[in-house]
Amino acid sequence: MSTESKEPLLVLEDISLSFKGVKAITDISFNVYEGEICSVIGPNGAGKSSMLNVINGVYIPQEGTITFDGKQFNKMKPHTAAVMGIARTFQNIALFKGMSVLDNIMSGRNLMMKASFWETALNIGRAKKEELEHRLEVEKIIEFLGLQSIRKTPVASLPYGLQKRVELGRALAAEPKMLLLDEPMAGMTMEEKLDMSCFIQEVNRNLGTTIVLIEHDMGVVMDISDHVVVLDYGKKIGDGPPSEIMNNQDVIDAYLGVSH
Amino acid sequence: MEFFLEVLVGGLLSGVMYSLVAIGFVLIYKSSGVFNFAQGTMLLLAALTFVSMTERQVDFKIAFIITLVMMVVLGIIVERTVMRPLANQSLLSLFMATVGLNYFLEGLAQGVWDSAVHGLELGISNDPIFLIDELPALGLDIIISQFDIAAAVIAGTMILGLTLFFQYTRTGLSLRAVSDDHMAAMAVGIPLNRIWAIVWAVTGVICLIAGLLWGDRVSVSFTLTAAVLKGLPVILIGGLTSIPGAIVGGLIIGASEKLGEIYLAEIFGGQGIEHWWAYTTALIFLMIRPTGIFGEKEIERV
Amino acid sequence: MYYREAGRLVKSFASDRRMLPLMEDRWILIAFMAFMYIVVTAFASDYLFSAILIPMMVLGIATLGLNIAVGYTGQLSLGTAGFMCFGAFAAFNLVLRLDMYLPMAFFLAGIIAGIVGIFFGLPSLRIKGFYLIVSTLAAQFFAEWVFNAYPWFLDNNSSGVVALPQHHYQVFPFQELTPLNAEFWHSYKGRYLLTLTVTLLLVLACKNMVRSSTGRNWMAVRDMDIAANVIGISVAKTKLMAFFISTFYCGVAGAMYSYCYIGNLDFMIFNLRRSFLIMFMVIVGGLGSILGSFLGAIFVYGWPILITRMGDFIFGGGTLDTAFVENNSKIVVGTIIIVLLIREPGGFAALWSTTKQKLRSWPFAN
Repeated sequence: MSTESKEPLLVLEDISLSFKGVKAITDISFNVYEGEICSVIGPNGAGKSSMLNVINGVYIPQEGTITFDGKQFNKMKPHTAAVMGIARTFQNIALFKGMSVLDNIMSGRNLMMKASFWETALNIGRAKKEELEHRLEVEKIIEFLGLQSIRKTPVASLPYGLQKRVELGRALAAEPKMLLLDEPMAGMTMEEKLDMSCFIQEVNRNLGTTIVLIEHDMGVVMDISDHVVVLDYGKKIGDGPPSEIMNNQDVIDAYLGVSH
Repeated sequence: MEFFLEVLVGGLLSGVMYSLVAIGFVLIYKSSGVFNFAQGTMLLLAALTFVSMTERQVDFKIAFIITLVMMVVLGIIVERTVMRPLANQSLLSLFMATVGLNYFLEGLAQGVWDSAVHGLELGISNDPIFLIDELPALGLDIIISQFDIAAAVIAGTMILGLTLFFQYTRTGLSLRAVSDDHMAAMAVGIPLNRIWAIVWAVTGVICLIAGLLWGDRVSVSFTLTAAVLKGLPVILIGGLTSIPGAIVGGLIIGASEKLGEIYLAEIFGGQGIEHWWAYTTALIFLMIRPTGIFGEKEIERV
Repeated sequence: MYYREAGRLVKSFASDRRMLPLMEDRWILIAFMAFMYIVVTAFASDYLFSAILIPMMVLGIATLGLNIAVGYTGQLSLGTAGFMCFGAFAAFNLVLRLDMYLPMAFFLAGIIAGIVGIFFGLPSLRIKGFYLIVSTLAAQFFAEWVFNAYPWFLDNNSSGVVALPQHHYQVFPFQELTPLNAEFWHSYKGRYLLTLTVTLLLVLACKNMVRSSTGRNWMAVRDMDIAANVIGISVAKTKLMAFFISTFYCGVAGAMYSYCYIGNLDFMIFNLRRSFLIMFMVIVGGLGSILGSFLGAIFVYGWPILITRMGDFIFGGGTLDTAFVENNSKIVVGTIIIVLLIREPGGFAALWSTTKQKLRSWPFAN
């Protein structure tokens, strides 16, 4: 849980994003260090999801640069982000509703599957080998997340909390360097939140995955984060370890304590 | 040059006829998000009903009214039996339901009436008029059919009326709300069923008018359902949700079709390019504007 | 049901992945195949071959092809018959001008149709949703036009229809020295065997693709292409691949339709109506289901035949005229589509799954 004092894994510089005149993000810069859990917090509409979308290329900022793992991008593309080792989950669950849990998580490993369609059609060579190899890895994730009994269930019939877990599984399947989690605990019960926090922490500790997460539950945020970034109306108003943020007057005014 | 203008104007006017068909599609799509594939068959049913009455010497006005009532009733029945049960399913399902409905109505129509060709007289003369009377300044001798002009005027009036209806009345607002998100519309208390019934009834009326005009032009037979195929590229160019788009799309397709037939037929050797040419034109437009010229862009939020 | 999955534990991923995990299912399949290959071949009448078995298989493959594009990948396509047309004409010209063996000609015809499919599938990279039908409809009308306008494709045959000659039916080298010669392959029995084998191979290939990364990519693009992009799937490649494979299947189906089913090359039959008919088969059978594709084809194709036969049986031969049968079929199929969509959007395939599920707990209630 220590912050590395070398080059940050992710550097965001002067990011500005607007949608047809409405500025969602104004001049935001912050760093995320390898191996840390960084939480992005702030009131609704502050631009947190947009920030995450910018990081993995779903939105393209009008200004600013993104540097990930040493490479600089003006425009990140989602496919590039995936190839570079960024995986994510979404606020409104972006699972493939027509497929089972197992297939959804397997699809997370698609970048590692090199078989051509001829090989899959004839079930020979790489196709056969890869299916079994990757199945083994995916099963480890299924075990980790406790999804064994529902692995063949179509995800559309699962309750919300389980769907979120499956989405996490799909993101983990890609063995990412950095995991972006957009409100992974939204709509969950206390127990589910506890489970999810444990998963996140274990992934961070055991695999060393850097995690950037958006979360509203302050208890969770303060508990598991190494680093907190606070946004409000598209601007950054706080950036530092949880203890510092908790006592930051601006942050308290905007989000934690005083009503607007 | 004269010939070119004649072809062009002829094309534009026939394009208006396509717009007539297209409007029916747009109306239903705009208010329920459903692409009503059965439009062509409904058109045919309207024309067939009307014609089978006038052939038996029923008075024009009475036949018109009876057909009108029938089409409205048909519209409401369709809404109740097909659309309502499917209300919470995907749009693809709804579309496929209309495809099934189309097949059903085709079988029904062919079963009740035979496949004979019926002539239809609307009482609008088909005499050509000389445009030189209207445009002395251009000094050109252009022949256009009076029928085409009358059709254009009727279509234009209908389109104008509908556009005003959608923009400036409360029901029009409700219709637009329903089309945008019918769950949300229900949540704010818009009576979904009544709105859909209205929409399908109005469509029935449009089908009647379009069916009659088309019936006069090409006579009433099963090839009338092919009018649908012409209507499709029109709305795809104009945008599935835009009534003005239906006009613009119609004009574009009509013009490009006629021009293509005359001028391109030589290059490609042989006739009959009109179908794929119309669709290729639509394709080109869609590549530039993937949701049609006036269509709404669908925004996907993640 | 006498046998079910409960209580049987798999011991390896490979056995979990099997197409038919239950041993009984495998025995049933082997028995079925033996029946189809041996019993049916020996005892079926020419009528059964030509009017029932062959067309149902050929249309099943065409439906499967369409299902790949629409059911698995979510790309609307109304040009199925047009792609079949390309396949049929490609096969004909390959055999005619290059003296190719039929199986090879079918395969290459599929490839050619596939390339055409990629071309008309390109707009799918920019156009989404309903608007996409414009592209495949353009393909459909283009196919209807091009083979009419350029008689070269028909070997300059002025009548517009070419009866496929016996000597085209070359299936393997030196076949003239065996009883399985051109005359055999030209006969209904031979055509049946050819169709059966091709169908089997294509279904197997499809099943493999659907269960693997290829199929998962298709379904991911269908379900949420933005998310697919985010996890690294190349949406463009996947869509084009789907179009290629879909039209490959349609192309082979078209070639078989001409060579094995009607025995003529005739572009008039590959019209828009047929595209719609195949679309109905997909809807009725079940989107995204291999079994469904065949169930749908059997039903939509078979219903008019059933009605005619029943009419003959009840009222004596020939009372139900073709017009009545046609209209009746339209009404029935149209109604079934609507009813299915309301009650069971997954089509017959879903009805079958539900039945199996109920049978698992029979005779206990669910």
